[in-house]
Amino acid sequence: MILPMNFDINGIKSCQRNRHPLLFIDSAFNVIPGEVASGIKCFSYNEWFFPAHFDDEPVVPGFIQVESLVQTFLMTFLSKVELRGKKTNFLGINNVKFKRKIVPGETLTIHATLESFRRGIATGKAVSFVGQQPACSADFVVSVPDILDQFKPKVMS
Amino acid sequence: MSNFLKYKEVFVQSFQYPGEVTELEYQCINEWDSVGHMQLMTALEDTFSIELDVDDIIEFSSFDKGITILAKYNVVIEK
Repeated sequence: MILPMNFDINGIKSCQRNRHPLLFIDSAFNVIPGEVASGIKCFSYNEWFFPAHFDDEPVVPGFIQVESLVQTFLMTFLSKVELRGKKTNFLGINNVKFKRKIVPGETLTIHATLESFRRGIATGKAVSFVGQQPACSADFVVSVPDILDQFKPKVMS
Repeated sequence: MSNFLKYKEVFVQSFQYPGEVTELEYQCINEWDSVGHMQLMTALEDTFSIELDVDDIIEFSSFDKGITILAKYNVVIEK
């Protein structure tokens, strides 16, 4: 039986290469490498984007919600010792759904599932909630170029 | 559907390529890059219920070469 792992911000930084101001999740918990991960993102008005989005009605931009989801999804496989610190690229985002606005003072809880990881291509999904209320969800396809490159054909020059 | 038609269809679907796939080689079209290669390998494994070895994935450099490689997995593709 694998005991779920927890990661603070330094632990997250040891797994993935995202950094401030584009590292959004604050902590990861219930992480079972190769299977699932959950993440927390607390939004305060100090976030750099709130004054601009929007000055009269601050709400979390959709792309930041999606990025928070994928950063939690990354923890499902970058938490594996052999993959820690590797860069990743988006290959696809599908079925993105936004269910509610997120405003300063709210906390997003994200649950991600890895459906497959084959030769450097990860597929899976993430759903998020504010309290018990669904916030947003999406399916992801993400590559790990370092792994992918180990399998590409040799090109004769 | 014959194995040859299945094999061709995997290339067509993986690369969404409208041209003649039998002449394709790795990196001869934008879609057959390292990502496309992995999508092609996965689609072939699913279609023919096989699991390709790493060396064969690396050797798989063209449509024709793939036919030779799949024969090692008892997938006979006759043109």
